[in-house]
Amino acid sequence: VSILGVCQWLQSLPWASGIKESSWQFPVIEGIHSLALSAMLWPAAILDLRLLGWIMPRRRVSTVAAQFLPWVWIGFTSMVLSGAILFAAEAVKCYNSPFFRIKIILIGVAGMNALVFHKTVFGDIASWDDSTTAPWRAKVAGGCSLAIWIGVVAMGRALAYA
Amino acid sequence: MLSESFLPFFEWCGRTWLGVTVRDTVWAFPLIETFHLLALAILLGTVLIVNLRAFGLGARRSSYAQIAGELEPWMLVSLAVLIVSGIPMAMSEPMKCYESYSFPIKMVLLLLAILWHFTVQRKWTSPDALRLTPMKSKLAACFSILLWTCIGIAGKGIPYV
Repeated sequence: VSILGVCQWLQSLPWASGIKESSWQFPVIEGIHSLALSAMLWPAAILDLRLLGWIMPRRRVSTVAAQFLPWVWIGFTSMVLSGAILFAAEAVKCYNSPFFRIKIILIGVAGMNALVFHKTVFGDIASWDDSTTAPWRAKVAGGCSLAIWIGVVAMGRALAYA
Repeated sequence: MLSESFLPFFEWCGRTWLGVTVRDTVWAFPLIETFHLLALAILLGTVLIVNLRAFGLGARRSSYAQIAGELEPWMLVSLAVLIVSGIPMAMSEPMKCYESYSFPIKMVLLLLAILWHFTVQRKWTSPDALRLTPMKSKLAACFSILLWTCIGIAGKGIPYV
């Protein structure tokens, strides 16, 4: 079974082809996908910008993380769910698009970046939480996260018009 | 939906250098839309963070006024980016905008949201706005979230309805 075969099967399912054929279902799900992006991307960017020291320097990184990470998780879950439905409706188009492949790779890299950050420098946060500037490794993680997510949005838009 | 008296203006938009350039450059529209969406994420994210605070959700360790004050510059910058990136997109396909229901609705809601923000919203989130009754602030928060969300949805709807 090839990946393309799976995509063709997915797209042919009654509910998936129904989304594509309906005049309003695809844009409504796409709208939810964009709204979830707002719920996730900006809270994530606030934490990234704090790590870089560009905003809220007097507030502890642990406080900012505790305030905004729950939003990131709720938003990310809604994005994956709505994104999966959009993918099913256009599976073959996505499979053939280089932008979609880059998008998925970038999301994977964003996940790795977050995982490494949490396992290493964030795990040791007690030692630098009181300082206004984060260690360079935390800054790199924040900068990478920002750049990767901007790339994810750009690939998503490129996919829609290609 | 729009009256025919607007037609010459929309036709003119499509003939301008900006409109023609964006329309004729393959990658221009998705590139501009990327910035539009990133700015939308900042603006809508800020609206959510600030207004859900009125319900005791989200950033609980900071006061409503504190959060609103800290995020205000980001909201204004993202609003500016949204308008600046939105104009070339609309000018590149003015007839689509003219014929759709979503575009005029979006513009009216946007005007309403900007007026609301600089009048009521700003007054109610000022540091001395503690006298505000919780019910009133919750209603205002709901209205803000609803308004900005509808603007986003109306934008998504332009190519469709």
